[in-house]
Amino acid sequence: MIEALLEGLVLVLQWKALGFMMLGVLLGFWVGLLPGLGGATTLALMLPFIYTMQPVEAFAFLLGMHSVTATTGDITSVLFGVPGEASSAATILDGHAMAKKGEAGRALGAALASSLVGALIGALALAAAVPVVRPLVLTFGSPELFMLAIVGLAFIASLSSHGGRGMLRGFLAGALGLFFATVGQDPQAGVARYTFDTLYLWQGLDLVPVLVGIFAIPEILELVARGTSIAGQLPAGKLTRGAFEGVKDTFRHFWLTIRCSLIGTFIGIMPGLGGSVAQWMAYGHAAQSAKTLEERKGFGAGDVRGVLGPGAANNSKEGGSLIPTIAFGVPGSTAMAILLGGFVLLGIVPGPDMLSKYLTLTYSMVWTIVIANVVTVIICFAFLDQLARLTTVRGGVLVPLILVLVFIGSYTSNNHYGDLIVTLVFGAVGYFMVLAGWPRAPFVLGLVLGKIAENYLYISVARYEMAWLTRPVVLALVGIAIAVILYPLYQARRRSAHA
Amino acid sequence: MHRNASLGLAIAVMLLAGYGIFAASSWPAKAALFPLAIGIPLFALAAAEALWTLFGAPPARQALSDLEPTAEPAAQRRIAIAAGWIFAFFAAVVLLGFPIAIPLFLFLYLKLQGGEGWALSIGITVVVSAVFYGLFEALLHLPFQAGWLFSWLGFG
Amino acid sequence: MKLKLALLACAALPLAAAAQTNLSGKTVTIVVGYKPGGGYDAAARMLARHLPNHIPGKPTVIVQNMPGGNSIIAANHVYNVAKPDGLTIGTFNRNLPIAQLTRVQGVKFDMTKFQWIGSAANESTILAIRNDLPYKSFEDLRTAKEPVVIGSTGPGANTHDFPLLLKDLLGAKLKIVSGYSSSSDIMLAIERKEVDGRAGSLTSIQPFIDRNLVRPIIRARSVEPGIEKLPEDESLAPNPRAKAIMALRSAPEVVARPYVLPPATPADVVSMYREAFAATIKDPALVAESKKAKFDLEYTSGDEALKVMKDVLSQPKDIVDEFSKYIKFGE
Repeated sequence: MIEALLEGLVLVLQWKALGFMMLGVLLGFWVGLLPGLGGATTLALMLPFIYTMQPVEAFAFLLGMHSVTATTGDITSVLFGVPGEASSAATILDGHAMAKKGEAGRALGAALASSLVGALIGALALAAAVPVVRPLVLTFGSPELFMLAIVGLAFIASLSSHGGRGMLRGFLAGALGLFFATVGQDPQAGVARYTFDTLYLWQGLDLVPVLVGIFAIPEILELVARGTSIAGQLPAGKLTRGAFEGVKDTFRHFWLTIRCSLIGTFIGIMPGLGGSVAQWMAYGHAAQSAKTLEERKGFGAGDVRGVLGPGAANNSKEGGSLIPTIAFGVPGSTAMAILLGGFVLLGIVPGPDMLSKYLTLTYSMVWTIVIANVVTVIICFAFLDQLARLTTVRGGVLVPLILVLVFIGSYTSNNHYGDLIVTLVFGAVGYFMVLAGWPRAPFVLGLVLGKIAENYLYISVARYEMAWLTRPVVLALVGIAIAVILYPLYQARRRSAHA
Repeated sequence: MHRNASLGLAIAVMLLAGYGIFAASSWPAKAALFPLAIGIPLFALAAAEALWTLFGAPPARQALSDLEPTAEPAAQRRIAIAAGWIFAFFAAVVLLGFPIAIPLFLFLYLKLQGGEGWALSIGITVVVSAVFYGLFEALLHLPFQAGWLFSWLGFG
Repeated sequence: MKLKLALLACAALPLAAAAQTNLSGKTVTIVVGYKPGGGYDAAARMLARHLPNHIPGKPTVIVQNMPGGNSIIAANHVYNVAKPDGLTIGTFNRNLPIAQLTRVQGVKFDMTKFQWIGSAANESTILAIRNDLPYKSFEDLRTAKEPVVIGSTGPGANTHDFPLLLKDLLGAKLKIVSGYSSSSDIMLAIERKEVDGRAGSLTSIQPFIDRNLVRPIIRARSVEPGIEKLPEDESLAPNPRAKAIMALRSAPEVVARPYVLPPATPADVVSMYREAFAATIKDPALVAESKKAKFDLEYTSGDEALKVMKDVLSQPKDIVDEFSKYIKFGE
């Protein structure tokens, strides 16, 4: 195994492979940055180019491109409050808040450093777990995946504000998200639910237009209302706390970053949960680490831990989602499904072969992720502080640019004007939610998990009737879900006891 | 502001949930299960929030994300204007198509709302439109439909 | 007034320079009814790379995605909005004639009125069961003591419809569990022993047959190398009505990757494209590529495709009603 590991490294360090990897990194940098260029779509567009490449080079290119999008997606989230990728939305909550306080450099530094840590953990998991992952994935059947979705929903408790009222609003927002998840054709009876006779809504609400609307539009409105630059709350107009501070933060909260990376990796390994869940669960976990009430209130207002958590998770999930793709040929996300097409193109059948015949190739993928991320982070750091200066640009200049980005980002989801309407509608919803003090994170969590929860529940009941409730892993997950819900309440009790 | 917005939103959610429950009741059981299982608690939670807003003590300001609700009339007016620009951009995209709407919106916003000088407005408009065109149209061939106005007039 | 006339004249110019068969300097757009990454999109992109060599004038061929409504939106667009100048081609869900037949709301096209270029592939549907189960033939499935669990993605997909008809019309003891998000999720469920088998296209199941995870049991009408010996569902039908329903479900399989032009496209442009497609699909470079991608491309002529459409859409009402009880339009 060690020889394969080293061989993989040597293969990746060939000129051609490295060259393609850098090309991929360059592409991926912009793809992640620009909303509207989705990682998955671009992968599909790039697939034809790999016909003539050797497997190591091809994957250096594809993975080099893809593994970087999760890192740079955080940049637009922090700077403008616009999610560059669907998986970067959670970084907006605290990252953009920090930018508004003039700490954009620090936030970017934290996002990048935690992304690197996450990517490394994900790659490590890929290297170490691939030989042993089969039993793990095979144990998690539909009942377990349903319970995992429930655990995810339980994190709503952590994403809600303190107190009974906070919890009420949190679960209200979560239920609203779950409700919107039911729009579309249902997979049991084929009924078109809540589609109002439009074809556009048949396949349900796409995540990106909703995310872009609910997060970016209220920020734009508020930016115009303030009439200043993004970092408008700064008295002297001088940016404080540069990128290096953000890196130090990552090490100050090292164990949190590691834990959130592990959450991301685990979610990535579970095929069927989708890539957008990890960041919210990591954010919820990071919020739980607040020790006092004051600290807890700080989340959402610019606590760097709110950047570290999702930053790490959305990168580690990439390494994680490669695992079922390679070991089973079952893609963990749309991007992975396309990558799978790449396997087929090159004549490789993912599955047990990847752990024996193609072990070196597998490890070369691990090294690709590592090197691509290291290179990206180094490049970004070179001009992070310049990027941070964007937050001092006049709002009057930035707003139209951000709006154009928002509209294009939304439209390219389905190339349909319906995308824009969805963005505007949820833009209004988001604005009023903020005004009313309702948290938006639970809403997104509900939206993302709704379909998964419903489908796996039906499969579980259809297949096992009620027997699935007594499976050991299911019971363990029920316990975890209860713990996740009760922990914030327990923490609140402790805080008020100490106060 | 908080209270009014929360009450309004809660009532809107109650109406939405009510509609959802009503629509779902005519579907076959399998399709209706989840919408009902969510819609009914949703209605109840929204009702609870509405009642709490009406009869409870004003809640401590616990917004998880921090958007200072700028309640003064000047800020409200600016928000309304901003919303107006957003809708105007949307209308321009639908009527004229992305390739025309983008430069038009950029230039008009920079000049009229931002109050920027001619050079900057034109400069930014040209650069951004060029990037947009080069990347999304020429390189990626994304389908940007011609605006409705044109198909009405017969150009299409 | 003069300005108006001048403007009108300018508007008329594009119409005057209407459809031609030499497309030098032009851009041809293939509109795909799905997002990038799916089979229809991949096939279109593969064709787009090699088509220019076979179209007079060597135009640029690009692909645009217009997903939504299971590709009904794309079909509507090509039927109603796209100009019939030979610069727009459409490709979409092979089951759209079923959508039209069962009067799905939102359908604004008539499959028989498109100008058919043809189909770029056949797809055969098979049912495959996990290898370690004792069921080796279709008879075994009929006499099984416990229902065999089949995973599916949802109504309208062949993962769901094919086994449904096998169960309801041929008496196979199957239990269909729906809701898996993709066919590869179902394969994982098979490995987990959560379900016992799945139906689907031969192309997508082949790697798992090769790995000895599953074995094919029965097929639908379309034949591909390797499954000729399998029993055909229609041949086991107990009565003509059942046979007609199964035939109706299978009919679109021959036109698995449909390519059409807008209805008013002139005849010479249509025949130019038919020749171009036929030649492209025989192009050695494309054949090599498609073999690598495990994509079996095969040209079915436009006339044949049109005939299939007309067959499907001229079914008598009672068959259609019976059919609608089982099959809903979906994926």
